[in-house]
Amino acid sequence: MLPEVNVMAMNAVARETVFTLRRQIAKIEGTLPERLQAPVPGAPLDAARLDMTLVRRGLAVASADAFLRTGIERLDTALGGGLPRAALSEIHGLETRDAGAVAGFALSLVSLILKEKQGLPILWVGTTEIFHEAGLPYARGLHAMFGIEPEQLLFSEAPKLLDALWIAEEAARMTAFAAVILEIRGSPRLLDLTATRRLHARAQNAGRPVLLLRQAGEADPTAAPVRLIVSAASSASRETVAGTLAGSIGRPAFKVDIGKSRTALPGQFTLEWNPNEHAFAERTENPVAVVPASQRGADPAPAPGAVLAFPAIGSPAAGDQPSRQQHPAHRSPRRAG
Amino acid sequence: MISHRDNNTQRIAALDERAEALKLKRGMGIADARAMHPMIDVVEADPDADRRLLEGLADWCDRYTPLVAIDGEDGLFLDVTGCTHLFGGERAMQDEILTRFFQQGFDVRAGLASTPGAAWAAARFHGDRIIAGGEEEALLAPLPLSALRIAPETRALLESVGLRTAGAVMAAPRAPLARRFGATLLLRLDQALGRLDEAVSPRLPVAPLSVERHLAEPVMLTDDIERLVSRLAIALKTDLERRGEGARTLALLLFRVDGAVSRIAVGTSRPVREPRLIQRLFHERLTALEQNIDAGFGFDLVRLSVLSAAAFDLVQGDLTGEADDDDADIALFADRVRARLGEAAVLKPVVVESHLPERAVKTVPFAEAPQRRAPAAGRTAPPRTAPPMTIYPPERPVRLFRSPEPIEVPATEIPEGPPMNFRWRRALYRVARAEGPERIASEWWRQLPGEEEAPTRDYYRIEDSEGRRYWLYRQGLYSSAPQAAPPRWFMHGVFA
Repeated sequence: MLPEVNVMAMNAVARETVFTLRRQIAKIEGTLPERLQAPVPGAPLDAARLDMTLVRRGLAVASADAFLRTGIERLDTALGGGLPRAALSEIHGLETRDAGAVAGFALSLVSLILKEKQGLPILWVGTTEIFHEAGLPYARGLHAMFGIEPEQLLFSEAPKLLDALWIAEEAARMTAFAAVILEIRGSPRLLDLTATRRLHARAQNAGRPVLLLRQAGEADPTAAPVRLIVSAASSASRETVAGTLAGSIGRPAFKVDIGKSRTALPGQFTLEWNPNEHAFAERTENPVAVVPASQRGADPAPAPGAVLAFPAIGSPAAGDQPSRQQHPAHRSPRRAG
Repeated sequence: MISHRDNNTQRIAALDERAEALKLKRGMGIADARAMHPMIDVVEADPDADRRLLEGLADWCDRYTPLVAIDGEDGLFLDVTGCTHLFGGERAMQDEILTRFFQQGFDVRAGLASTPGAAWAAARFHGDRIIAGGEEEALLAPLPLSALRIAPETRALLESVGLRTAGAVMAAPRAPLARRFGATLLLRLDQALGRLDEAVSPRLPVAPLSVERHLAEPVMLTDDIERLVSRLAIALKTDLERRGEGARTLALLLFRVDGAVSRIAVGTSRPVREPRLIQRLFHERLTALEQNIDAGFGFDLVRLSVLSAAAFDLVQGDLTGEADDDDADIALFADRVRARLGEAAVLKPVVVESHLPERAVKTVPFAEAPQRRAPAAGRTAPPRTAPPMTIYPPERPVRLFRSPEPIEVPATEIPEGPPMNFRWRRALYRVARAEGPERIASEWWRQLPGEEEAPTRDYYRIEDSEGRRYWLYRQGLYSSAPQAAPPRWFMHGVFA
């Protein structure tokens, strides 16, 4: 009897160690629930299944509100549940002239966060260079569009990138901010894997998102689990009682590409921001009739299903185009507004 | 020997003992002196440097008393009332000051008396003497008139009537003296004798609270200084608690062994008294200044002063012991950033009632911004109170450029319409859609009289062919007048 008990105890201890290590690894890598959840081919061992249940349980606790859902089913699935709340997320703009769209997208994410954490301030850290090139956030423009009061905004301008990084790191460890936005230009050497890892670790510990806006930046190695590439998309026309107003500039829209995510699913989305409800809506067709009617209905986003590397991962609908039934559901709030 | 230029002649301004031994005198022409002794070494006087040196010495004397005043070009007043016991009595203190100055290479004379006037006279005419209260008359009586701190003209007048010593002036009847020589003479006399109070106006504002530590072994390392700061802050906390206050501005004075004084100040956006917070603020400041503080042979006196204080509101924490005070966290964060990177490191936008977009939001340093408080809901927020006639407030961009950037607009569809394309930062943009104009006139009520009215602006929201949205404006209107300059276009912001 005794030896068996001993072996069992040792097994338990060893397993516990393995779980702890795995959890740590998962935390360092920005959690990989899907990979761990993936069914093991072949005969699953008893211990392996135990592993899986435990890991899943641990993550289930975390994932209850670990992700900020964008409200777009397809995007959330592609991101593996949404944008991680307690993490560093990178938002890239390909050119400095996209700064408006990048800032707008980041602010709409902040607006989603503020729905739950009302009244908390946000901090916008930037280098003098980027504020000079792309302009300062304008407090008057934030309220109507994103519901951010001027009193909620704090910004910090550092002449040097090193100082900006220091401010962002100090702010990232605080829980008093709803979100910290760090904006830089280009791909400086200072902001390398180590620097992003430090930011990410602090964001994880504080449980607050840090958004790293990189204008005209390249896809450098980063510790952020998610990288989104944002550019402007032509806005919707204004809706009036009499119908759409031709030639008018209505709700802003963004083209969002997933550059990096935990699920490694590619995807391109055109999101429209609804400033009245502070919610995203996906645009699956161009509402402005700039294309011939014969092409109406064609999805402008390339169908990623065909080039999918891991078809088994995620939900079955992840890589596919949304079904036709989904369209009215997505489009209805926009029509109502 | 030091020369100065006086009426287009180089004259001797000051000279050392060896030059005096050569029978040279102050005020003598340099040419004459050179003729007598070709070997003399002449240096041009530099009054500014002298002044700076004197100020440096005044800073250093701050270690003896906070009330240090500069007297003329070559004197310092130290009000040591209530400070002498800290240095072992008047005699010991004076000796220490003289020794220290001597070690630094200065030839200093000191006098200590109950009145500034008597001390002044004692320092200049006796040297190293301590005058007890009541002895002023005996001290001054045999001294010449220049011991009375009076103008040279008055002195010459007095001497011309035969009053050659201070004692003679004291013995003379007062009323004729006042009538003939003015009130200043008697004022100086009374001040020197202690009949009238004379206030020494200190050079620097006196800190309401300060704690200091004399060190037997000078410290050099920043870490040691920080440790000392936290010790001093603990001592300061008791005093602040007794007064029910918290510090708004703190200064750390580091007295170097060789006489240089570093003064490091930090400001806080809300009153603090917690030693840990004070230490963290100084940590940031010291880190930022690491290159600029020259420890030399070390600091032998460290003083922490509260320069300004404000009432401290006690906050009660909840039962878990965690006072959930986000605002305090943010204030501390802002203070730390400010201590490290300067006043304008953390900015807060403040909405101002104005039509002009660049004036409608003012960015102020965090410490000066109105504090965000819960009852903010009570007062109506300015952006919500839109003008009654407009249903929707006019749309404003998410980013605004510091200063509007000029753009080239080759063509507009109609003279005062939106552009068809434009060139901004050397790239050409094709306009796909445009909304506007929104006309914003200049604010004439801010105009100075005589100033020309700024042209009105017509703002357009523009979407280019790739979907980016901009905020442009045209300054001025097209005019048919032949000499009129065409209106100019500017890029002012970008929309989401």
